[in-house]
Amino acid sequence: MSAEQIGLWAGFIFTLMIFSYLLGDNILYRLAVYVFVGLAAGYVTVVTIESVLLPWLRGTVFAPEANLGQRLLGLVPIILGLLLLLKSSPRLGRLGNLAIAFLVGVGTAVALVGAVAGTLLPLAAATGSGVRVDVLNGFLAFLGVASTLVYFHYLARRKPDGGTTRGLVVRVISAVGQGFIVITLGALYAGAILTSLTIFSERVGFILARITGG
Amino acid sequence: MGRLGAAISTAIAIGIGLLTLIGLLAGDNVPLVNDIADFLLQLVVITTAITVLIGVVNLFSVHARRVGRRDTGWGYSLLVIVATLLVIVLVLLERAGALGGRPSTILFETVQISIESALAGLVLFALVYGAYRLTRRRLTWPTVLFVVVLLLLLLGALPLAGLGPLVSIRDWLMAVPVSAGARGILLGIALGTVVTGVRVLVGQDRSYRE
Repeated sequence: MSAEQIGLWAGFIFTLMIFSYLLGDNILYRLAVYVFVGLAAGYVTVVTIESVLLPWLRGTVFAPEANLGQRLLGLVPIILGLLLLLKSSPRLGRLGNLAIAFLVGVGTAVALVGAVAGTLLPLAAATGSGVRVDVLNGFLAFLGVASTLVYFHYLARRKPDGGTTRGLVVRVISAVGQGFIVITLGALYAGAILTSLTIFSERVGFILARITGG
Repeated sequence: MGRLGAAISTAIAIGIGLLTLIGLLAGDNVPLVNDIADFLLQLVVITTAITVLIGVVNLFSVHARRVGRRDTGWGYSLLVIVATLLVIVLVLLERAGALGGRPSTILFETVQISIESALAGLVLFALVYGAYRLTRRRLTWPTVLFVVVLLLLLLGALPLAGLGPLVSIRDWLMAVPVSAGARGILLGIALGTVVTGVRVLVGQDRSYRE
């Protein structure tokens, strides 16, 4: 029996062990899940070291033609990683804030550029141009986008008794927005059901193929 | 390391953030700043990779401790350790040329993907049960709308003849209201990101110092 055949039979057994959860939580299901966690941890380690860390170290710290400055710069992420490790220490935890601040600074800039150039401008332009292509549907799309944004607008006027109230117009528009959000979530839910159904039927096909020798 | 450390953290976040932002916006127009931004992004990627490794080491040590103390369920922890080591040792032996073929790839394609797919397939039952539970609760107009859209889209996906009108409704739903709602949600997230990002860059939000 080849390694592939052994692997396929192992996959068959693990699939049955996972599906045994349909009968309730049991030892077979837990065994399979713990194996899954262990294998995933092993692959994450291998990919991280082979595809990210080693190329970086070979290009900086261990590069034959690198000067002292380049080697030191190559050590910066390792120092940042060690600083992050200090976050678990009650005494030295504050040193980890320096690494967090660095990650937050770069992450914020990337998120800002991504949000503006990748989401705000293209989606606003697509919503606006949709009206020119198809007036009715374009207007409905514009109404949906605008009312959804109004739904997430939580500003309200404070009443003398301490409660809050929103204007009638805002309430009506946000109800329309809620409708669009519900439709979107319903579609996403349907998509998730169809995706998992496809995967489930593929697994059932795999089990039958193993049993029948197909 | 009290107030001085906090001030240094704020300075790093704002300074590095603005430098990266300018570098990303300037692009090739200002090569020096763009190169610095690229370098900072590389540093973040490598640092993130190191944090992932720290996470794996932590997982390993937690389970090793459970095995060492013979805690409840220590057998499961032993499985985690064995499976992790199995992958690492297989890859090391492969790279050393001690094993023919690619057993680590076979293990991934046959066992790991099988378990992942089976778990994803199990989600089907949770989703269907969740939808069923929703209909058993007090009916409100959002609940009814949600269930109607769900059924329309599921029925529209059936590969049966004579479902033409249903397929048309499904296509229209996906093209107009679903697309509009998704755009609204994404625009809301983007606006929230911009507000939070600006607050960090002007020093209003300094939660990273805690």
